[in-house]
Amino acid sequence: MRNTIDSSLAGATMTDSSAAGISYDPQAMMPDVKVIKVGGQSVMDRGRAAVFPILDELVAAKDTYKLLLCTGGGTRARHIYSVASDLELPTGVLAALGGYVPRQNARMLQMLLARHGGLFIMHDDFEKLPLYFRLGCIPIMTGMPPFGYWEKPTENGRIPQHRTDAGVFLSAEVLGAKRALFIKDEDGLYSDDPKKNPGAALIPKIGARELLNRDLPDLVLERVVIEYLTRSRFCKELQIVNGLKKGQVTRALSGEDVGTIIYQD
Amino acid sequence: MNKLVSGDGRTHIESPLMRESLVDRRTVARTHSEREHAILPDVTLVSLGGQSIFDRGREAILPIVEELASLVGKHKLVLGVGGGTRVRHTVSIALDLGLPTGGIAQLVGAMEEANAVFLNALLAKHRSIVMQREHFWELPLYLENGMMPIVISIPPYHFWEPPPEGGPLPAHGSDFGLFIHAEVLGMKRLVFVKDEDGLYTKDPKKHPDARLIAKTTLEELEESMPEELILDRALFTAWKTARHVKRVQIVNGLKPGMLSRALAGEDVGTVITREGR
Repeated sequence: MRNTIDSSLAGATMTDSSAAGISYDPQAMMPDVKVIKVGGQSVMDRGRAAVFPILDELVAAKDTYKLLLCTGGGTRARHIYSVASDLELPTGVLAALGGYVPRQNARMLQMLLARHGGLFIMHDDFEKLPLYFRLGCIPIMTGMPPFGYWEKPTENGRIPQHRTDAGVFLSAEVLGAKRALFIKDEDGLYSDDPKKNPGAALIPKIGARELLNRDLPDLVLERVVIEYLTRSRFCKELQIVNGLKKGQVTRALSGEDVGTIIYQD
Repeated sequence: MNKLVSGDGRTHIESPLMRESLVDRRTVARTHSEREHAILPDVTLVSLGGQSIFDRGREAILPIVEELASLVGKHKLVLGVGGGTRVRHTVSIALDLGLPTGGIAQLVGAMEEANAVFLNALLAKHRSIVMQREHFWELPLYLENGMMPIVISIPPYHFWEPPPEGGPLPAHGSDFGLFIHAEVLGMKRLVFVKDEDGLYTKDPKKHPDARLIAKTTLEELEESMPEELILDRALFTAWKTARHVKRVQIVNGLKPGMLSRALAGEDVGTVITREGR
């Protein structure tokens, strides 16, 4: 005898995502939040020359928009992944270790933005976002999602599939924000790594499926993010802008299609 | 000795991944090797079903508690529990309210944690302990002292649950969470204690003609995956790329002794193995 509570799912196996026969009309939690990634290797590792002008633009925009800043890892994360791979440690351990660096970067931005209301927040503080915005603060968190040791093993490699791009996209998705913004050091998505192949061409706008179908060996954002974009409910657009070019961040925040837009097709 | 490298506007630490795009398949493949360090290879993870065991109350739980007490010291066991009917109720209300998938994922873990506390209250005198997530690395301490840690079964995906395929429900449930927990620690096997003899071709509670699958492989299951499963679909997907887990067994916890026999290595219930590697 099972002591079952009567509900529309009482007899369901719940071993997959389907909820047959149940109507679902999802509500956006905070659709007006701008979820922004500040790149690790592309921005933070460049130091003040890159970081300060970007922060100036963000501070200028903070009273107009609700900004949630998320940080990438960069070269120290690469060093961690590299050492951990050499030791043949599991992907979940790499994911947990890889979390330290973006947290450091988030703390660095907090120190720089403290006088403008910069707040370092943890995943557990996510439900307090409405308070932080009401107070005019700029919450800053790691871009890494909290999967850590529970990250799935990576096929043909060890580097975790969900890193800071994934965390940024998933934050935007759960908040119900239509677009997530990624600040990098390139104008957007290219047909190949523009740092290695000078012939690579900029792609200003492309659908997620179309992009996956091209089967490029390299992408500007983590592959899982593009895959999730094909079936997300709220976050339907990813924008990548060049933070080294003055004004790009401001234009992106005002809704202009600068850089590259990857959209749900 | 690593050195700092600059010259392109960025400051790098020298490493094989320096300047690389971690999205590039060719770079990711360079971090691959056939071997992987197993952190705690001699431990078995045992999962007790929520709806199948806990929701049945003392009649189902107490015999299993007794059986677990008799196993203390014989095997190194990590325990996990499902959430059961309260999870279904939570999700049903959350869906009606239109909460986002990540929001639903954030809510459900509380019910599994409640069941972990139930179990611990009964097993504490036999040296069980509820593990908090941040105490991850304390597992060896407990295991070496003959204790039975009860871990949180839901993975910490929470608000960051990826958009699911084919519906609004979070795909990463307690079966998946425990599987990954076992896998990252290099365990070789998991035993799921349910209220059916194992995995059937269909849900045996709804279809009297459902057949028990006594022995199969992940590869065979991939080819003819039953529509209704007794374990999270995400578990099977993750197993494909896993390195350590070799055996997943499902036994009937309503039949005394089945868990002990499974832990002794007997092929009771359903045994799923993975070929290759």
